[in-house]
Order: sequence, then C-alpha cells, then structure tokens
Amino acid sequence: MTVEILFGLFLSTLRMSLPILFASSGGYFSEKSGVPQIALEAYLLVGAFTAAAANYQFDSSIVGFLAAGLSCILFSQIFSYLIFKLKANAIVIGTGLNLLAMGIIPIVSKLFFDSTGSTPSINTSAEAVQKSLFTVVSITIMMLIVCYWLAEKTRWGLQIKFAGEKSEALTSVGVSPLLRRWQAVTLSAFVTGLGGAILSTYLASSYSPLMSAGRGFIALAAVIFAGWDLKKAWIVVLFFGLTESLQIQMQNMDIGFKIPNEFIQMLPYIATLLALLLMKNKQLAPKESGSVL
Amino acid sequence: MKFKLGYDFSSVIGFFAGLFISSLLVFLFKENPAHILKVLSGSFLQSKFDLGLTLFYTTCFLFSGLAFSIPFKAGLFHIGAEGQIVISAMIAAILGQTVFKVFGVNTPVGVVVGVLTIITVTVLFGILSAHVISFFKVFKQSHEVVVAIMLNFIFSAVSTYIILHFFQNPESQNPESGLIHQAYQNFKGDFIKIYFDQSAVSSFLIVAVISSFVVWFFENKTKWGLELRAYGENPQAAERMGISKIKINFLALGLAGVFSAFVGLTEVLGSAYQFKIGFSPSYGFLGIVVALLAQGHPLGMVVSAFIMAVLHKGASDLDLETQYLTRDFSKVLQSIIIFCVAGAVYINYRRKKS
Repeated sequence: MTVEILFGLFLSTLRMSLPILFASSGGYFSEKSGVPQIALEAYLLVGAFTAAAANYQFDSSIVGFLAAGLSCILFSQIFSYLIFKLKANAIVIGTGLNLLAMGIIPIVSKLFFDSTGSTPSINTSAEAVQKSLFTVVSITIMMLIVCYWLAEKTRWGLQIKFAGEKSEALTSVGVSPLLRRWQAVTLSAFVTGLGGAILSTYLASSYSPLMSAGRGFIALAAVIFAGWDLKKAWIVVLFFGLTESLQIQMQNMDIGFKIPNEFIQMLPYIATLLALLLMKNKQLAPKESGSVL
Repeated sequence: MKFKLGYDFSSVIGFFAGLFISSLLVFLFKENPAHILKVLSGSFLQSKFDLGLTLFYTTCFLFSGLAFSIPFKAGLFHIGAEGQIVISAMIAAILGQTVFKVFGVNTPVGVVVGVLTIITVTVLFGILSAHVISFFKVFKQSHEVVVAIMLNFIFSAVSTYIILHFFQNPESQNPESGLIHQAYQNFKGDFIKIYFDQSAVSSFLIVAVISSFVVWFFENKTKWGLELRAYGENPQAAERMGISKIKINFLALGLAGVFSAFVGLTEVLGSAYQFKIGFSPSYGFLGIVVALLAQGHPLGMVVSAFIMAVLHKGASDLDLETQYLTRDFSKVLQSIIIFCVAGAVYINYRRKKS
C-alpha cells in the first residue's frame, strides 16, 4: 500500500516537474549569458496556448510542440529587440512581456474560439494520449541531452558563460557577446515554450487562463537556488515538483493533520530565500548579469 | 537606461507610439481603432461615479509609482511592491476588525486613535516587508529583483492563508475578509467621496498628491534625498564620499514600503472596507509604467498616474463595448506602452549623445 503511494508520488512528481524542468533549462541559458530572465512565465503561457490551439486544430501533439516552440521564439524577439537593440532594461521589458502574454492570450482566444477562458479540449482518446505520452517522453529526453551537451560540452556553451561572466574576453577572440546573448535568449524561449506545451497538452487537455500559475518564477527560483548550475537546477526542480505533487496528494489523503495548501505552494520560494540566506551567492551569479553591451 | 532630472519628451513620444501601435493591433481583432480609442479615453467622463473610480485608480497608481521610483533613483529595481501592497492591505483589514476592542468606538477620540493605529501599524508592516529585500541586498548581496519575486509569492500566500482561515467573511461566498468596524469606515463621509457619488475615490487622493510633492522636496532639497540619488548615480563614488550603503538601501526601500502600504490603506480604509483576495490588478507592476512615463519625476507621476488610470478604467469598459476585445486589453496596452517608452527613452538618449 505505502509502496504504491510512494510510487504514485514519484510518478506524479516527475509529471509535475516537467514544465518547470523545461522552463528552468531555458531560463538557465538566458541567465547564464547575463540576461536576467523574468519573462519565463510569459513563454510558458504563450507556449501553452499555441500548443493547445495547434493540437486542437491539427490533432497532433508534435505539431502542438512545434507551434509552441516557434511562437515563443517569435514572441521573444520583442524582448531581444528592445534589450539588445534599444538597450532597454531587461527587467522592465520582462515585466512588460509577462503583462503582454497575460493580456493578449484571452483576446486571441476569444477571436479564434469565442471564449476568453480556455481553448476547446484536445483529442483525449486512449490512442492519442498514448501518442502524446511517447512524444513527451522523447522530447524531454532529447531536451535534457541537448541542453546538457550545449551547456557543458560545446564551445558555444562556454561562450555563453563568458558572455555573462566577462564579455570583453569574448570580444577579444572575435565573438560578439551580443550575438551569444541573443542566441541564449532565443533558445531559452524555445525550450520554455516546449514546457508550456507540456503544461496544456500533457498535464491538461486544454489551455485554461493563467495556467502556468507562477511556474516560470519557480523555474527561475530553481536556477538561482542551484547557483546557476544546470544539473543542480534539475535536481532542485524535482524537489519543487515533489512539493507540488504532495500538495495534490494531500488533498485526497487523510493523514490526521493538515498542512495548509498555501504553505506547500510557497515552499519553493521560501526554500530559495533560505538558500540565498545560507549560501554565498555573490560568487555564483553571472558577474555581468544585466550589463548593457 | 537612467532616469534624467530634466524632463525630455521621449517618454511622451513613446507613450503615443505605444497608443498608436496598440490601435493598429486592434485591426487584427476586427475592431475599429477610433472606436476603441474613444471608449478608452472617454469612459471616465461618463459620470461622476466613473470619474471617481478613475481617481481611485490614480491614487493607487501614484502611490505604487512612487514606491517604484524612489528605490530606482538609488539604483534598486523594486518590483516587490505587489507583495507589500497585499500584506499591508491584509494587516489593515485585520486591524480594522480588531483594534476597536482596545480603543473603543464610543468616543471620537477612540475612533481617531483607532484609525491612526491602523495606519501606523500598516505602514510599519509595509516598511518591514520592504526591508526584507534591503536585508538580502545589503548583507547577502542577493539581487533585489530575485528576492522581491520570491517575497511577492510568499506574501500573497501568507495573506490568503490568514484571511481564509481566520478572518473569512462568514456572510460571503467570495474569498474575502469581513468588513472593518463600522466606525472606521469614516472615509464614507469624506467630502471627496460624497462629491463623487460614493465612488471608490477618497481623501487618500489628496494624500497621494501631497506625497508626490513631499517626495519631490525630499529628492531635491534634503540631504538624504541627494545622498540617495548620488548613490544611485555612482555607488562606488558615493561610498567614498561617506554615504553608507546600508543606510541608502534601507532608506530607499523603506520609503517604497511606506507608499506600498498606502496603496493597501487606500483599498481597505478608503474603498472596499475589507480585504478581497486578488483585489490588486497588479498595482505594483503598473507603478513601473507610471514611473517610466514620468521618467521618475514625482510631480510628473501625478499626470502619468492619471493617464494610466484613464486607460485602465477605459479598458474595463471594453467588455461591454466591443465584441472581441476584453478588459485584458488593458494589459496589452500597458505592456506596449512600457516597450515604446523604454525604447524611446534610449533613442532620445543616443540622439542627444551624438
């Protein structure tokens, strides 16, 4: 009995971690390249909405994922243009982007589906779910491998780190730090968009308003908690996913005492603050984070 | 990007560019831009009540604009106002239901002391909640944005928990606290509210406008204000001059906390008389737009807060007036204005340089 519960908890932890896993991998690249990224929430929302819409339209989960990734790349170009070309403050624009995503999705949704809230439900027949599961698993594994390879094994990943730590060094070897930062932001949006697609087409069967529910910020918290380290960030994400699945399990279980929902919800944020309190984070954060090139 | 002291018109240009782009966007949604602009800009003039509601938004926007701009001048990016607003509104609502037991409400003195206690304690909480950020910034070298984001979520979860479990209004299905004591609802009788047909606006509007004058005076004429700005311009140089980093951080964010608390007070004492969960249409973030538009000038913010309030009020009418656009268009509008103003400020800055 307990084994069953624990196994169920483990599976649901994995499931709940997925969107945050994508968002934190995405956020990692942007943060590491020296661009503070608080617009992950916006990418998750845009990704979730386009994935649900495309999946519904074409009845295919792969098309949904592609649409989510591409739309987020397009969406992030607003961010990139303003930050790199017009040298605007990344946090101002990030805030603006979050607002834009929250504002424009209901309007677009109303235009296409005549409902401000959610998109119509996607195909949830057993066969479609099976296929979607396969897609999700393969995309997740691919994402993990590619992100790890890019970040740790390639010259490009090293250059990304230098763009955030010491951009002059990059300039001196003839690589534009601005270009690397732009690539990092774009990759970040793409990966996070895939996470959004998982949110709406795998964890749910349609887009519902503001369904990211702060996961973008949790992902950012995970990256910071892990001290801007990709592998550690993934482990932290699993921990945050555990809190989320515990929260769901607790609602169904009667264990004599009740931990209020709100406390479990704020656990990731408290944990991050504690980590900031206990660690010497100054050395870990990218040194030129937020600098204007 | 730096706020400059003298006002240049780039943010005005940016604002109109933003408005223009948003109206073009409206075409995509099968609406007539002229009609939308008319709804957006005209809705506040429909009645005294509507104007009062707009002035209520102006009050909140002005306070939150100040809460953003003061730390900004000290080089701090303060996006934690949202959490501080929520936590201070909760404190005000709780005190409003409890302190009358201590001071009594039978004598006018008791009522006045009660209201003053509510205001003082709420402001103290605002300051304390903002000082959490300064603490992390000064002693842990954490980035203030990161800490502020975490605190926003924590404060909102804490206030939701406390209100739902201990102070939920038993007569209501909505997640909200009970009403504050009848005697403390004395803003119902204030002349501004009566003039505007019991709309949401209250005397806090006057407090807000006076505050922006006080802030202007503080920033330009007092030693601390000048130190704060000097630190923002160049932290290393300022520290060499003997300006304490700790003092500036706690001062700037403490002031921000005061104004965040006033947004909460405006809501609880001046308008709703209770704490409604999710009452804030992210005032804390809208403060950024207000401050950007006015380039951080406290008096300019009175104007920009009013403009944003007009648009915010107008957008809430879009639900009724149009087929596809909803009140969410307000967010789209705000974000596009943020983009255009942030861009225009830079373009102008570079033109001046060359």
